[in-house]
Amino acid sequence: MPYEMIATLMFSTMMLMLLTGQRVFGAIGFVAVVAALLLWGDKGGFDIGFAAAMKLMKWYPLLTLPMFIFMGYVLSESKIADDLYRMFHVWMGGLRGGLAIGTIGLMVLISAMNGLSVAGMAIGATIALPELLKRGYDKRMVTGVIQAGSSLGILVPPSVVLVLYAMIARQPVGQLWLAGVVPGLMMAGLFIAYIAIRCRLNPVLGPTLDEDERSEIPRAEKLRLLRAGLLPLIIFAVMMVPFVNGWTSLVESSAIGALAAFAAAVLKGRMTRTVFENSVRNTLGITCMFMWIILAALAFGAVFDGLGAVKAIEDLFTERLNLSPWMILILMQLSFILMGTFLDDTAMLVIVAPLYVPLVGALGFDLVWYGILYTITCQIAYMTPPFGYNLFLMRAMAPPEISLRDIYASITPFVIVMAGALALVMIFPQLALWLPNYVYGK
Amino acid sequence: MTGMLRGFIRGVDAVNHRLGRVVMYGIFVLMGILLWSSVSKTFFLPSLWTLEMAQFVMVGYYVLGGPYSIQLGSNVRMDLLYGGWSDRRKAWFDLITVCFLIFYLCVLIYGAVSSTAYSLGYWKDAPFSFLFGVLTGAEDIGRMEQSSSAWRPYMWPIKVVMIVGFVLMLLQCLSELFKDVLRLKGETV
Repeated sequence: MPYEMIATLMFSTMMLMLLTGQRVFGAIGFVAVVAALLLWGDKGGFDIGFAAAMKLMKWYPLLTLPMFIFMGYVLSESKIADDLYRMFHVWMGGLRGGLAIGTIGLMVLISAMNGLSVAGMAIGATIALPELLKRGYDKRMVTGVIQAGSSLGILVPPSVVLVLYAMIARQPVGQLWLAGVVPGLMMAGLFIAYIAIRCRLNPVLGPTLDEDERSEIPRAEKLRLLRAGLLPLIIFAVMMVPFVNGWTSLVESSAIGALAAFAAAVLKGRMTRTVFENSVRNTLGITCMFMWIILAALAFGAVFDGLGAVKAIEDLFTERLNLSPWMILILMQLSFILMGTFLDDTAMLVIVAPLYVPLVGALGFDLVWYGILYTITCQIAYMTPPFGYNLFLMRAMAPPEISLRDIYASITPFVIVMAGALALVMIFPQLALWLPNYVYGK
Repeated sequence: MTGMLRGFIRGVDAVNHRLGRVVMYGIFVLMGILLWSSVSKTFFLPSLWTLEMAQFVMVGYYVLGGPYSIQLGSNVRMDLLYGGWSDRRKAWFDLITVCFLIFYLCVLIYGAVSSTAYSLGYWKDAPFSFLFGVLTGAEDIGRMEQSSSAWRPYMWPIKVVMIVGFVLMLLQCLSELFKDVLRLKGETV
């Protein structure tokens, strides 16, 4: 059987297995080991599963994963972000759509303290969403705001997705993180512009706060709330400054960040028994979920590598279909979004990336730049039905008056904005590359 | 029969639950090692052992914590179809597909055992009987594998941890399988 056929067969079997609803790692791992046994039998076929475990152990940057997950849980469970939300609420409330714009600001700050989108999602859905609904904001718009805003978590440094990408693409994490800064802020800016324009055209969507409510808050209180904004800046600084200066490694910085978040929660008196228990237990659960999926996906990827599937696909595109590199790149991004809507996000990351990244490198594109395209595509895939990590989380966390229909309808304009941001970064690579080149002086 | 299944489920769940409750504090051990690593690097000589030790702790954390994460239901499933099914249909499908998961774990365990035997200086084709022989004293340990880093730790302890973790994971999956059997018999689990 030709190798492309085997690869296609493996891929479709895996999709079918995933549809049965078995745990994702089991479905991927099973297809991987069965394919390995059929292909290579007792000459290495038995070892491919365990070889992945050893490889996983040696992936040093992966140690950041539990640290960032722990940080995210501490931040969201301890409700340390309440004051942060209050700050934006008080300062932005006077504008049309100001609370929604403030929520985007809140999400940017949370993203700067955290590498996944889960924390932003939890904070947005439990703190910001009820407040916004109470003030008469349009429910479809605010649901979209929180989903789109929290997805910035994986683009603004620190970012776990970029750590995983860095391992697969063998690119420096520091440069990738810096490359995410400008596109992340730009995307936040585009969201804000979108909200501002829509609320100007149709003020019902995002009414201003009442005069009474605003004048109730004394100036001193307003200034005191500004201090809340310091917390994310401090946490971001203790994590990033030693890392960018090369005093500590990435992994060590993530541990410092986790300690800083933990210390902040303790100092503010928010680290109760329940918060502690939930953070520690959920960190184990989510870390295990990630690690076991990556373990299985590495075995799957190893079989794919053994087949030379990447080379086969590259030949298919460049030789037989005779496409230009840019066409291939655009096709890849489109197929990626399509797959992202079907595949679980982690699975997508560890299965699709090893396939695409070498191809992009072979076509002569900058892999740091591609990392940003890749991350933005992941963000879009997170939010698009039928499978979107953020969609599921939103459904689990949102108040009952928000239906699944609302959630689906809410994301459309934001996905369009994100696709626009993706196109901008594709056309102007300097958006991503300027900052890392400036800092690392290339 | 039902009594035996119930006994198995109770026993396995209890062991994995207790182990998971201990292992989950491993996050602080990991954090401690990494913080020590940054402190020693900045103020004294960088430690040689921190990097690999952190990796070993991470392996223990996710492998030994795995069964507990299954109990917690943290392992994502694709719920496009699954989410809409009745409990009975879910149980039927799980009953069948969990066997695939178990097969995967068996291959993992086989790989772990032969790699452990290798790390104890054995490279013929009967790793199971060799490891058994080591335990009973019938086989001699050969040249032990060491990591190729400057610290040069022995590799067998972490591999043994992985065998233990994979076996516990296997037992947990069997427990899930038996729970589905009981559910299909119409009993409450």
